[in-house]
Amino acid sequence: MARFVFRSILSTIVTMLFVSVLLFWLLEVGSGDITVKILGTFATMEQRASYRLQLGLDQPFLLRYATWLVGNDWWVAGRVGVPLQTVRNESTGENEWWAVVDGQFMRWQLEDGELLALIRQADGSSHKVSGETFWQAATQEEGGDAVFWGLNVNNSAVKWVRGQENRAFVFSMSGMREEGDAPVAYIPLTKGLLRGDFGESLQTGRPVSATLFTRVRNTFVLALLAFVVVMPMALLLGVIAGINEGRLVDRLISIWGLAFTATPEFVMGIFLILLFAIWLKVLPAATVFLSDSDIWDLRLLVLPVLTLTAAELGYIARMTRASMVDVMGSPYIRTAILKGMPYGRVVFRHALRNALMAPITVIMLHVNWLIGGIVVVEVIFGFPGLGRYIFDSAIFGDFNAVEAAAMLLVLIAVGTRLLGDLIYTFLNPRIRYS
Amino acid sequence: MTQPKRIHPLAFKAQAQLANGQISRRDFMRYVTLLGTSVATASVLAACGGSNESQSNGADDSGPAARSATSATAGPQRGGTLRKAMLLQLLDHPARLSWPSASNIVRQVSEYLTETGADNITRPSLLENWQASDDVTRWTLNLRRGVTFNNGDEMTADDVMFSFSQWLDPEIGSSLLGLLSYLDGMNSVTKIDDYTIQLDLLTPNIGVPEHLFHYPAVILHREFEGDFVKQPIGSGAFLLEEYAEGERAVLKRREDYWRMGADGQPLPYLDEIIYVSIAPDAAVAAVQAGQVDSLFRPRPSDWQALQGVPGLSIYPGRSSQCFLLRMRVDLEPWDDVRVRNALKMCQDRPKILQLAYFGEGELSIDAHVAPVHPAYCEKPIPEYDPDGARALLEEYAAEKGIQLPLRVTLVTKNDEAEPEIAQTVKELAAGAGFDITLEIIEPTSYWERWTDVDLGISSWTHRPLDTMTLPLAYIADAEGKPVPWNETRWVDEEFTQLLRQAEAELDVEARRAIMCQIEDIMQSRGPIGNPFWRNVWHIMSDRFHNISAHPTNYDLFYEVWKSS
Repeated sequence: MARFVFRSILSTIVTMLFVSVLLFWLLEVGSGDITVKILGTFATMEQRASYRLQLGLDQPFLLRYATWLVGNDWWVAGRVGVPLQTVRNESTGENEWWAVVDGQFMRWQLEDGELLALIRQADGSSHKVSGETFWQAATQEEGGDAVFWGLNVNNSAVKWVRGQENRAFVFSMSGMREEGDAPVAYIPLTKGLLRGDFGESLQTGRPVSATLFTRVRNTFVLALLAFVVVMPMALLLGVIAGINEGRLVDRLISIWGLAFTATPEFVMGIFLILLFAIWLKVLPAATVFLSDSDIWDLRLLVLPVLTLTAAELGYIARMTRASMVDVMGSPYIRTAILKGMPYGRVVFRHALRNALMAPITVIMLHVNWLIGGIVVVEVIFGFPGLGRYIFDSAIFGDFNAVEAAAMLLVLIAVGTRLLGDLIYTFLNPRIRYS
Repeated sequence: MTQPKRIHPLAFKAQAQLANGQISRRDFMRYVTLLGTSVATASVLAACGGSNESQSNGADDSGPAARSATSATAGPQRGGTLRKAMLLQLLDHPARLSWPSASNIVRQVSEYLTETGADNITRPSLLENWQASDDVTRWTLNLRRGVTFNNGDEMTADDVMFSFSQWLDPEIGSSLLGLLSYLDGMNSVTKIDDYTIQLDLLTPNIGVPEHLFHYPAVILHREFEGDFVKQPIGSGAFLLEEYAEGERAVLKRREDYWRMGADGQPLPYLDEIIYVSIAPDAAVAAVQAGQVDSLFRPRPSDWQALQGVPGLSIYPGRSSQCFLLRMRVDLEPWDDVRVRNALKMCQDRPKILQLAYFGEGELSIDAHVAPVHPAYCEKPIPEYDPDGARALLEEYAAEKGIQLPLRVTLVTKNDEAEPEIAQTVKELAAGAGFDITLEIIEPTSYWERWTDVDLGISSWTHRPLDTMTLPLAYIADAEGKPVPWNETRWVDEEFTQLLRQAEAELDVEARRAIMCQIEDIMQSRGPIGNPFWRNVWHIMSDRFHNISAHPTNYDLFYEVWKSS
């Protein structure tokens, strides 16, 4: 058993690595110029180029992948020459990068050609002092100009070259003068996924973790509710239909199940909205979360759960029914009935266990679907869930967000498979792991 | 206090409109003082709302107590929450705002030097006033005194200088950089004293006040570091309480805002605004079910779905937003003016407007100057003329030795009304000898190559002045290359000359005379067909008052109030 679990974990890690490389590469080739999406269609080429530089998108593909995986502060610290550390900003709840200089947290800023050092105070604010000494300590490079690597206020390691800030040049097209104070290179700092840093979302400009986990929570609540409503009901109806094969109750369950399964979720969702929200006005039409705690307002979740129920119920019930019919027709059940065993005992002790084998596989696959694949339902009800998060991020080309969400889904997929396997061993002692 | 002998009858009409919430107090004051009523009397009229017997007494007794007492019965009420559906994405540096939706959040917290209202008139906001020199190259901006940021600091010229430096810094990536191209960077911006800024323009431009209300141009605090969510400092009426991308933005009332309400207390009337990030289709359902009060930028289909829903008011507004049928004049066959004009003559404008936009707009001439622009010169709307178009095309085909129909591809995006327009034009132009193949692509793909396609339908947003749009799309730069957004490559020397004159002409009637010629040139040899100007709508629960439809869907909520 332990070996089986160990092997599963190992294969999970390999799968995740493989998926992450593939996704990174797909987003790299498939998603166009991301600065168009951030700065809008109407930014100039110069502005886009400058912004790409600031996002660190000029670095080669493999380096960016490695950075995403294991971070870059450990080697960037060598450039800056002092240790780098994250400090939590209490007012925003986000981590900030600071350099540790003589026991003080420090960042830098160039203002009108003058280097300023920002020293972090105990309350999180920063105190500005002249950073002239840093120029003097700087290594001489680039044709005699002093070069200084430091951290800016946007969590990037940046390279300033003294003298360049005054070299204003004019854009020929618009007659614009470039303002000084711009660094010549940027390396956005990150700790990397393996050290628990999902990176920054390009779509929101904030850490992926800030938005991802609300979505994950929302999705788990919805998926759990749908699961708790659908699965017992579907299994029960399937079993009832299966042991009453060919009778009226079986026909009713089968036909209704088929009708619901055949109706696409978006049709069912809109139908339910029209019926319960617009016409009867008894339930809210959309999942409008006016505050974070509104996820616990179950009224908001009734229609999405009903829509998912309609989509799932028939499918699982029919699956269970077929399996049940199969088992009920097998010789050992016939023998059990013929030898006079009570009918209920035959069904629950002997038939049910075997009949559940097939539905369990389907149910476990559907857990994945409930968590990442219900984009249609999320769009109809405006539900802020994980499916739409991945969809929007992928359309935007927001690789950090897609990667983080995808890693989570791979974990869930493998986890549910593992759970499914464990339930198998419980249901069927013939399957053993040794 | 002087007793007014006679109050202009229109003043009472305006007073009734004010009481019904049809006009704002500010508009009322401006209008009524124009009619010769003193400011004191006007304030009293405003405070008295609809009760028209009290106007003579009110003038004698205009103390704050009397005013607040009367307004409690008839005037705006305080309190309440406004909930609006709008997708929320990246918000960091306001100068970098690239979509108007995010600006609606910033607009509640921060303010602009000027403000262009729903009536397309630009007024001072954080400015007390402005002056332009006679040659329109020097602008003096006089700041309003006593305006404080929500961190307690007073707004001075230093903040405005800092804001300009951010707008003009290429590293920030602001779209203002292109708009303010008549400034030589910060060399053109001078602080005269703590409340005065002077702009020295390289070329004359009358659009400075309008540019200062371009959505990224909010006045930032001088210590702003680049992330508005972390540092939501502004002089506006609301405080940013929460901003979660893809979830919601919560704005709370500020106690010490500088604008005063009709009751003599500081605005705003509302306690809270919540923007909820939900997808447009779900937003329509949420509005119908009363879960939110309004939705951002209703599409024509939303407008149709929400008509007649009880408890909702639809405020329509005119705009200069349009869908241009634009032709690349450097490519065959559009380099020939006869082919361009033939396609323009194939527009059955009323039909296109009806089929693509439910008739909700104004018919247009084939020029990028709209009736809402102050200097618009009225021209007859061209008729649908397929026979005339066919004659032109036959002439062209005979000359080139080709057979009709002329095969062309029309590219556009699958967006609000473009596919419908494209389909209609295809059918309308078939009789004239055009064989149009449609290529309808996703909006992002279209925006990646909108300036490159031969024949396309591009949507253009509203700009308050014609002299703001025309230089973006129909001229060449100093080296003779078409400017970056000149999607048609059309450059016309006479047109450019006239446009330069218009840009330097403050007098609106003189500018209208120039626009008459500009519109003629665009109609006779220009590169665009323009079937109609679209309406905008503000759809809002009828419990809210002082609502209007801004032509660029900007939310101005500091005077909005909610009836209980």
